[in-house]
Parts: sequence; C-alpha cells; structure tokens
Amino acid sequence: MTTENKTITPKTSKQTVLQAHNVRKSFGARGNVQQVLKGIDLRVAEGEFVGIMGASGAGKTTLLNVLATIDRSTEGTILIDGVDISKMKDSELSAFRRNQLGFIFQDYNLLDTLTVKENILLPVSLGKMKKQEAEAQFQSIAKILDIEALADKYPHEISGGQKQRTSAARALINQPSLVFADEPTGALDSKSASSLLRTMAEVNKQQGVTIMMVTHDPLASSYCSRVVFLKDGNVYSELYKGDKTRQAFFQEILNVQAVLGGDSVDAL
Amino acid sequence: MCRLCSGVTALTLFDLVKRSMRKNIKHYYLYFFALILSVVLYFVFATLQHDAAVAAQGTGTMGAAFQVAGILLVFIAGIFIVYANAIFLKRRSREIGLYQLIGLTKRAVARLLIIENMLLGIMALIVGIAAGMLVSRVFLLLLMKLIGYEAFIEVSFSTAAVIQTFFVFLAIFVLTTIQMVFTVYRNSLLSLFNSEKQGQHPRKPKTAASAILALLGIGLIAFGYWLSGRMLNAMIFFNMLAVLATVILGTYLIFRVTISWLLYRIRRSKNGHLGLANSLSLAPLMHRMKSNANSLTIITVLSAMTLTMTAAAYSLYYSTEQETQAIMPFDFMFENEAGLADDISQELDDNGISYQREAVETFVVPAEFEEKPAPFLERATDIALFSSEQLQQAGLDVDVPENGEASFHDVSVATLFNSVTLPFDLTLQDEGATTLSITEIAQQNVLNWSFFTSQIVVNEETYQSLKAQLASETGDAALQQMDGFHIAEEDMAAASAIYQQDKYKVSEPHVDYYSSYDGSIQSNGLLIFIAGFLGLVFLISTGSILYFKQMTEAEQEKQSYATLRQLGFTVKDIMRGIVRKQAFVFGLPLAIGLAHSIFAIQAASFLFRTDILFPASVAMGVYALIYLVFAVLAVGYYKKTVKAAL
Repeated sequence: MTTENKTITPKTSKQTVLQAHNVRKSFGARGNVQQVLKGIDLRVAEGEFVGIMGASGAGKTTLLNVLATIDRSTEGTILIDGVDISKMKDSELSAFRRNQLGFIFQDYNLLDTLTVKENILLPVSLGKMKKQEAEAQFQSIAKILDIEALADKYPHEISGGQKQRTSAARALINQPSLVFADEPTGALDSKSASSLLRTMAEVNKQQGVTIMMVTHDPLASSYCSRVVFLKDGNVYSELYKGDKTRQAFFQEILNVQAVLGGDSVDAL
Repeated sequence: MCRLCSGVTALTLFDLVKRSMRKNIKHYYLYFFALILSVVLYFVFATLQHDAAVAAQGTGTMGAAFQVAGILLVFIAGIFIVYANAIFLKRRSREIGLYQLIGLTKRAVARLLIIENMLLGIMALIVGIAAGMLVSRVFLLLLMKLIGYEAFIEVSFSTAAVIQTFFVFLAIFVLTTIQMVFTVYRNSLLSLFNSEKQGQHPRKPKTAASAILALLGIGLIAFGYWLSGRMLNAMIFFNMLAVLATVILGTYLIFRVTISWLLYRIRRSKNGHLGLANSLSLAPLMHRMKSNANSLTIITVLSAMTLTMTAAAYSLYYSTEQETQAIMPFDFMFENEAGLADDISQELDDNGISYQREAVETFVVPAEFEEKPAPFLERATDIALFSSEQLQQAGLDVDVPENGEASFHDVSVATLFNSVTLPFDLTLQDEGATTLSITEIAQQNVLNWSFFTSQIVVNEETYQSLKAQLASETGDAALQQMDGFHIAEEDMAAASAIYQQDKYKVSEPHVDYYSSYDGSIQSNGLLIFIAGFLGLVFLISTGSILYFKQMTEAEQEKQSYATLRQLGFTVKDIMRGIVRKQAFVFGLPLAIGLAHSIFAIQAASFLFRTDILFPASVAMGVYALIYLVFAVLAVGYYKKTVKAAL
C-alpha cells in the first residue's frame, strides 16, 4: 500500500511494519454508543520508536489494544507486516501475537511463580525455537537489559525497574516485528524510568526493533523518534525528533501538549 | 466503594448485610453449598436413625452402629464447614478490611458477619432439611434393600431428626461464629488487604537435608507396606501401630518434602526453559506445596482409611453368600438323629417343599498335627474323618485324595495354614499311630461348622480301612451318622422356619444356612450402608475442599491468565497446563490413598476366605470416579476463568 493523502509517512523510506487505515472503535450498546477512535490512519516503518500521547480519554490505550490485536476495531484495516489482522480468527490472532509481537505493560505482568529467566523464556515455550537458540537469545537480551544476574530470582525479590526490564526482555525474546509498550514507566521512579527508556532507545537503535509506546509522560516520549498526539479519537499532530537533542525534542513536546491542554500537570 | 461510604450513615447494619449478601452471592454460594450439603446428609442420616422401619428391623448392634457413625458424621461435617468457612473468610478478607477502613468498628464488622452467618445458617437448615426429606426415602430404600428387607416402606417425617439436626448445626454455627470473630479481631487491616496475595515463594531446598528427608518419606512408606504384609505374629498390635505411624509420617514427608524436592530437581534441570504447561502446573504447585502439605496429608490418609473401610465392608457384603456356604455346605443337618430327620422330611413333604436328604458317615478320632499354626492344635485334637466318595454322593464338590493322603476342611482356621508348607503329617492317636499326609487346605467345609470343626477328607479306600481298624480298637462309639438337607433356593425361608421349631432343637448351636445368611446379610448390609454413607460424605467433603481450593487459586491466578492470553497463548494452550496441575492436585492424594488402602486391604485379607479382588476394585473404582467428577468440575471452573481473563 502506498502513501495516501491522510497517511502520515515517516521521512525514511524503510519497510512498513504497521499500516492502519481509518480505524474506528466504538463502545456501548445501541442508543448509547461512544466512539473512542474516529478514523485513525497511521503508518509505522521498520526501526521506528513511536510514542503515542494524548490526554486521558483521548483513546491512547484503545488504539494500542486495537493495533496489538488484543481488541478488535469496529471499522478500518490494520496491516502488520503486510498481514491484515482485522480479518483473522481469534486463534490466528493468538499465534500472531505470540510470534510477531512483543508487549511491555505498566504493571509488568510477570508471573509470580516463575523466575526472571522462566518469565522471559515463556513466549518461546510453544514455538519451534530450539533450546540452544532460545538460550543464546536469552543471554544476549539479558546482557543488553543488564539483568543477567537476576535470572534465578523471583519477581518479588527484585525492584520495579528490574521487573520492567524483565518484562522488556520477555517482549524481545521472540525477535518480534513490533513491540507495544503501555505506559512502561508508569509505575517506576524517575531514575529507573530514564534508565529503562535509555535502554529501550538503545535497543531500538542498535537492534533495529520497532517500538510503539503509549505514554502521557512527555519525558518518556522524548526518547522516541516520533511522537503522535491523539485528541478525542483523532490524530491531532505529530512530531519528529530528527537530529534534535532530546532536551529540545522534550521542549517541543511540551509545547504541543500545552496547546492540546489536558494532563501535562500530572506528567510531572 | 464510594456508594458505600456516602450511604453508610443512612444504612443500618442489617441493610448493609442484605446489600453485601446480594453483591457477594458468588463468594457465598461456595460456603452456602457446603452448609446445605452437610445439612442434607446429616438430616438423612438422622431420619434413618429415627426411622421406625429401621428400628424394627434392627437389633441392638444396628442402633450402636448408627450412633457411632452419627458421631463420626458430625465430626466430618464440622471440619468440612469450618474449612469451607476459612476459605470463604479468606476470599472476603478485603471486604472485611474495607468495612473497617470506612470506619466500622471491629465489633460492628463482627456483628455484621454473625448476622450474615445466622441468615445463611437458617436458610441452609431450611433448604437442607427440605432436600433431605426428598432424598431420605432413596437412602432408606437402599438400606432396606442392602439388609434384605423387602416389605413396602414409607418414610415418616421425623421431628426428632429435625431437632437433632438443628442442635448439631447450632453447635457448628457457634464454631464458625467464633472463627469469624477471630478473623476480625486477630487480623490487622494490612494483613486483611494482603491475604489474597499471600502464598509462599519456593525456597531453594537445602539439598542434603531435603534429599535425606525426601528419601526417608519414600522409605517410611515402603517399610510400612512391607511390615503390613508381615503383621500376623505375637506383636500384631505393635505392628499395626508401627505400620500406621510409618505410613502417616511417610505420607506427610512425601507431601512436605519429597514432592517439592523432586519438582525442584525437575525445574532446575530445565534451566529456565520451563515451557508453558510446566509454568502453569509445576511452578504454582511448588509455590503452594508448603501450605498444602498438611491438608493433602490429611486428605490422603483419610482417603486411604475411607477406601479401606468401604472396600472391606463391600467385600464382606459381597462375599456373604460364599462365606456362609463355605461354613455350611448343607442347609441344615442332624447328628445321629435319624428319627428327627425322618420327622422333618415328612414335614417338608407336607409343606410341599422339595429337598434332598443326604446321609454322610463320619467317625471322630483324636489326632496330632505336625504343623501347629493355631494354639488349639498344640495338643492332640479331635478330628472328623470323611470319605470323599461319600461326600461327592451327597452333592459336595470335593477332590478325591490319593491313598494315605488327606485334605483339611476347616475354613475358620484355613488362613492360619497359609504360611505352612504342604504336605505335613497328621498322626492319628490310635494304636498304630497311623499317619496321614495333609496335601490340601480346603477353603470349604464338608459339614456344617456347628458339628465338627477339624474335618479331614480321605478317599473311600483309606476311609474304609481306617474305619475297620478303629472299630476293632474302640468299637462303633466314634461312628456318627449325619443327615444333611439341601433345600431349593425358593423354599429356603419356609424350610428354615420349620427347622427352627423347638422340637428339632437337639444340638447347640441350632443353626441353619438360611437364617445364618440372613443374619450376616443384615449386619453386613448395615455395615456397607454406613461405611458407604460415611465414605460418600467424606468423599464429597474432601472433593469439595480440593475444588474450593482450586477455585480460589484460579481467581488468584486470573491476572497470569490475562497476561498469557495477551502474550498470545490460546485458551487451549493454557488449559493444557491447568489440566496437568489438576491431575496432580486430585490425582496424587487419590493415588497415594489408593496405594495405602490396597496394602491395608491386603493386610486384612486374612479375614476373608473369598477372593475380594472384585468387590475391592469396584469400591475403589467408584471412589476414583467420584474424585474425577470434582477434578472435571475444577477444570471447568478454570476454563471459565481463563476465557473471561482477557
């Protein structure tokens, strides 16, 4: 699919990972329908680190859920790696999530009964990946995320930042086409948060992993290569980092947010 | 929550109770179900206990058996309800904390819970007694059928049963109330809010100590099993205690140490590559093994006892006919009373009862056994000699021994000879000290037990030569003429009544096959009914407890299922791991319980002359099947939870 008028195109001409066209999502029964997404068009290219920002109720999480195949859109098409996910059956979606996508959640969502290593290796447990291959993959990811020493610890024995790194490692173990992160720094203190974001940016650059992150924190989104702003279920505007410093990008984000109004206060 | 705080001033405590009960119906139904079930079963039991038909049928033993079983039943019901209440309270601890957080005093919260408990108790009593009335007829019919009572019966409403049920559950209600008050007063707010999250994290076992204890657990059970097959000696009482102690301790160690140790080793060998199914079975099991060790041990040991009890009772009941036949091959007999035998033949003819009258000759001589497995064999004892050909003529199924050989027929001591190697010598105390070689210990008497105990069968040739020899020594005094009667099945009752008339009572004990069988079937029928009833109650209680626990675990792990679904695992993938866990949770206590009971039954098999493999297998099979139902229910609940998780 080539660029259409309304489609937001990144400057690079890399391969498209995600292509959303006219995505709509409504909730509620007849008579009391609330449209949360009102026709979103979005294209994410390989190697991008996209931030989705917007005030509470702007539809950030709904968009993420729809794009991440956890929820179904009411209308529109979503292609991930050229595959139309809106036409897939539930079981196909599950397999697709397992093989193509990675997830990082605000609450980490680690399994309490599993060690760090077991948690990380969980997504490959039903795949065809050989044990040695999985082990090598685990070692390299654990090294990047600096959690090698924690492999045999249980989630209750490690800090929030470490848990989120574990969660990130779990998202990356499958070498997914696209990683979705939902407020990954939401439960972290500022030091752990920036440390995690630095690592994510690094993984994005060095490993070429495509990441889409929902956040309401301008500081977090300043690590992205592009930030898309949502307002009332529509794409309001977008910013590219380009060659700007992170600080300058952060300032730009704040400016857009000021115009947008909303939750700039609770971000700090 | 906010609706609650704004409204709380206007609400009376009773309103609050009504509201919370309506909102929490899901939490309640589990506890409520446990209450109702206990009431139904207890009420049925009490009704039977007070039933006129049962009382009329029964002798003194019936009442005593019911009383003991009733006490046991109260215990089981009490433990079951207290346990269900504990799970119920744990699930609601957040709510209890919330009430306190919004400003209710502990006293008020306790009062609220007590009112709730009272409402639940009263409802359970009403529903339970109503349901109990409906099903008690089924149980009464079953009991009457088991004890061979065939007249029409009607269940009458028993006020005494209602009162008895009421007081038993009043006592249990007091117990649960104390439990509730304890929960409110003893726990801090913080612990109330966190109790849902509690669960231990598996620690790395101290390898050396764990390995030793783990193997000790297996060793103790193996020793107990080994000893159970060798208990029959002078130390039998001590041996039984030792078997019980080692097996119970071994079971505890298995659950407390061995399994965790094995699981830990398996897990370590996986080195992090656990796989989904193990992540959902092995890992959560390890987490809960410590807190579950006690209850699993109790469930397993009690399962084993119940299984043994029901299997033994059913075996007794099942083999009643065979056992009675083994000790009474003739329906009734007369010893040297040809006149009476003629009289009764006449009377049977008059009543149109067809019969076969068989004459059997025997003579009695003291003899000494080479092997003496029973104390009474220490000295020379009287034996009765028979000719196998004569017995065959009389319609008995006996083998013809070789010349000079003999078979021993006394089923009351036959099992004592199990450890004796055949053949051995039997020396008659005649002048020539004739020796017979015992080549067979038969499982069947050749004469009704009430006449002679040690019955020795030789072939006709040996018999005649011994008879001639003994007659020349002692005369004919030792010679006895027996008249035995075989009655057709359908006339047994009538013939028995004729035989039991006073005029035929010349020898003690005056017993016949039919009345013996009838008496045994009554007592064994009662035994299997009570054992079966208690077994059922126990089975339902333990099955429910395991099921409740699994329900709670399913709810605690909901978030994990949501995460897994999000990561792209299908319900089917997840269920595979859960089924594996259920197989473990339900299967392990059942398997170990079955193994225990198999050895227990085997150790007790000397009580049975007949083959009890079939009845014991049936009892165990039924038990396992009911367990399976609970496992399937638990899997169903998990499936619902997993499906709803995303």
